[in-house]
Amino acid sequence: MLELRKDIFADERDDNLKEIGKGTQRQDMLGHITGTSSYFGDHKLQGMLHLKVVRSAQAHARLRRIDTTEAERSAGVRRIIRSADVPRNLNTLLSLINFGKDDEPSLAVDKVRYKGEPIVAIVADSEREAFEAIAKVRIDYEPLPTVFDVEEALKPGAPVVNETYPKNAFIYHDVHDHQKLRFGDADAALATADHVLEQRYQMSPIEHAPTETNGAIAAPDTNGRYVVYTSTQALFFSVDTCAKILDVPSNTFHFIGGTVGGGFGGKVDTLTEPLAILAAMLTGRPVRYVFGREEEMQYGPPRGAERIFIKDGVMRDGRIVARKIRAYFDSGAYTRLSSYAAVKCAAHLPGPYTIPNVHGDVYCVFTNRTPATAMRGFGVTAMDFAIECQMDKLANLVGMDPMEFRILNAYRDGDMKAHRREAKNTALIECVQVAAEKAKWPIREEFRRASSRKDGGGSRAVIPPTPADARARPAAPVQQRTSYDRLPPTVTREPPREPPPPTPPPSSPRPAAPSHGATRFSSVFGTRRR
Amino acid sequence: MAVTVKTFTSAGEAAGALSSDRSARYLGGGTLVMRALNEGDVSISTVIRANDQALTRIDASGPRVTLGAGVTFARVLAERDLAFLHAPARSIGGPAVRNMGTVGGNLFAQSPFGDFTVALLALDATVAVAGGFGARDVPIEEFLQARDRQAGTLVLSVSCTRPASSEAFRYRKIARIKPKGGAVITLAAHLPVSGGRIAGARIALGSMAPTQIRARAAERALEGRSLDAATIAAAASAATEGTSPSDNALGSAWYRREIVGVHLRRLLSGQE
Repeated sequence: MLELRKDIFADERDDNLKEIGKGTQRQDMLGHITGTSSYFGDHKLQGMLHLKVVRSAQAHARLRRIDTTEAERSAGVRRIIRSADVPRNLNTLLSLINFGKDDEPSLAVDKVRYKGEPIVAIVADSEREAFEAIAKVRIDYEPLPTVFDVEEALKPGAPVVNETYPKNAFIYHDVHDHQKLRFGDADAALATADHVLEQRYQMSPIEHAPTETNGAIAAPDTNGRYVVYTSTQALFFSVDTCAKILDVPSNTFHFIGGTVGGGFGGKVDTLTEPLAILAAMLTGRPVRYVFGREEEMQYGPPRGAERIFIKDGVMRDGRIVARKIRAYFDSGAYTRLSSYAAVKCAAHLPGPYTIPNVHGDVYCVFTNRTPATAMRGFGVTAMDFAIECQMDKLANLVGMDPMEFRILNAYRDGDMKAHRREAKNTALIECVQVAAEKAKWPIREEFRRASSRKDGGGSRAVIPPTPADARARPAAPVQQRTSYDRLPPTVTREPPREPPPPTPPPSSPRPAAPSHGATRFSSVFGTRRR
Repeated sequence: MAVTVKTFTSAGEAAGALSSDRSARYLGGGTLVMRALNEGDVSISTVIRANDQALTRIDASGPRVTLGAGVTFARVLAERDLAFLHAPARSIGGPAVRNMGTVGGNLFAQSPFGDFTVALLALDATVAVAGGFGARDVPIEEFLQARDRQAGTLVLSVSCTRPASSEAFRYRKIARIKPKGGAVITLAAHLPVSGGRIAGARIALGSMAPTQIRARAAERALEGRSLDAATIAAAASAATEGTSPSDNALGSAWYRREIVGVHLRRLLSGQE
């Protein structure tokens, strides 16, 4: 239990909060409704230049030749920026927390890996003149074989998207090509389950579609510093990313954020600031770089598309005894934040349920698609969609009410979660009960009486014996037809599960010793600061 | 090269300027041209405008209705005598777009836009254009077939005959996002009835071909018959004939072919 030292932090927290259930005015609402909120794009600086990038017309190609001679002579062009002009062209966002290898250039070198990848930047007096110069850049592509499917990308002999990760999978802890979760023996439990249901779930990329597109204005300031007005939703993250790419101390910049005109995760990638600042450095003038709407929609990073396979073993009485999950995150051509999404996803398995045998493999895969990034609960939302669809199908399979089925399998305080932490403050049972009540959905008395605080722990707190797995990657399963829609309703209603028989003493590979927060954080990401 | 804006007081002068400059584009409400300019379309160097009163005139008092090319959808909606065109006008964009978007501009809007034109095609409208050789009237079908080659012509007005009754003209736009989304498909049907039988049916489809087109096979299935279930089924099953839809972000060509008959059936049978 956290204790707040009120003698030191007297003003830190109001213990008399009474906010829930009351209308509270947002602090930025007055500005929004009166049209006075200021955005980065509201700054019109004297002598401001405009930057536009030439984007790849190919999804995967070697760059044979980039001819900018005609573009350089185009009216109003002040500067053409090439990859060699970027001090540290190669970067990966999470390198700031020592996670992952630098894999993405600000401007493409030798090769493009997705359609729309920036190749050269043009700085001109007006946007129009920049567009006219873009039309005069000649790029000689040598098309390469492409791969757009996550499972195809992992097959031997697939085209190598990103040479930093030659097997098209993000590498964790320098060795593992995926996140692995093992708890108990899922295969053995599946073999003895009354029903086994295997399903495939495929998500689509989702664009954040902000009203304000990504953009930044950078201007030379006094003492060799630069002031940067930006749409970023992660200001200090963007400062440090720019400092790394431009190879200067971060106090070179004065970043001014403000109202973000719609973020949702789509404005953490720091796509416009480094080039805008570099252009300001190279020209000595203020430079504005803002995505057009089509750029935002087509090349701005989306939520990645996940492909998820779930194989569950369930008993006739409704107890889920095994859950086996394989998930592929389509990261697109570069890592951005998908590596972290896979970590979050693995940490989330098997959902808010106590299942004695869990087996999870989560891959972060590179394909020739637009790089994906953060978006509202990424890593978890898609998996939850798949898990909850699966829960409905399982309830149907065993002839149980879906609400009661969830209460039966819900985790309770004191249960051992698959990643070997004790479940605390669980409240799924109560949530389902309230949802059922509000929806006037009848559930039986015993389920109305269930509580997250009762009947947890004990044998449910035990870590089951967990066999180490063989090295080989499992073969791709075939999509199984669900009997969801045509299954006759089963009337047998059996009592909720008895607690499973006590299992032999745990053989946890790592003792769950409490450790310092920062160390724990870096261990989640896989690369400790050394 | 900067973009030049030229404003003329007469439509004739604007038409002359438009036909003499290949990089010129006429700006009506700007919902298409300004978008293209903002997105970096460097093929446009000259923007032509005309503040000729004739372009914004509405003549809706008689059986023949004429709308100036510069009439906005908001004005169509404000005109009680144009009630038969309210459904298509209301289906376009949001209030901001309807305040700016014009009847003339809609004739040039590519799929998934151009819904009002679908209605005009079903109503057998006539398009008055001014080109390098003076003004002339063109049947809308002919106009649309040659739309890609119409860059140098200025549309002055559109006219059509008022449908005999509200039942005789029907319109339906299928969108994923309501009320402002682009069309998956758009349907309009003009069904004049004479002695209990349909005479001169015209069915128009949007997003089922590179331009708005007529569903001639469906029209033939209706012609000379009463609008009963069997006739409607025959028309619905013929809806895809002669269409060539394409894939876009709103729907695949396959999907469009699958749903067009379903929606035509609902349109003809008066279902919501």
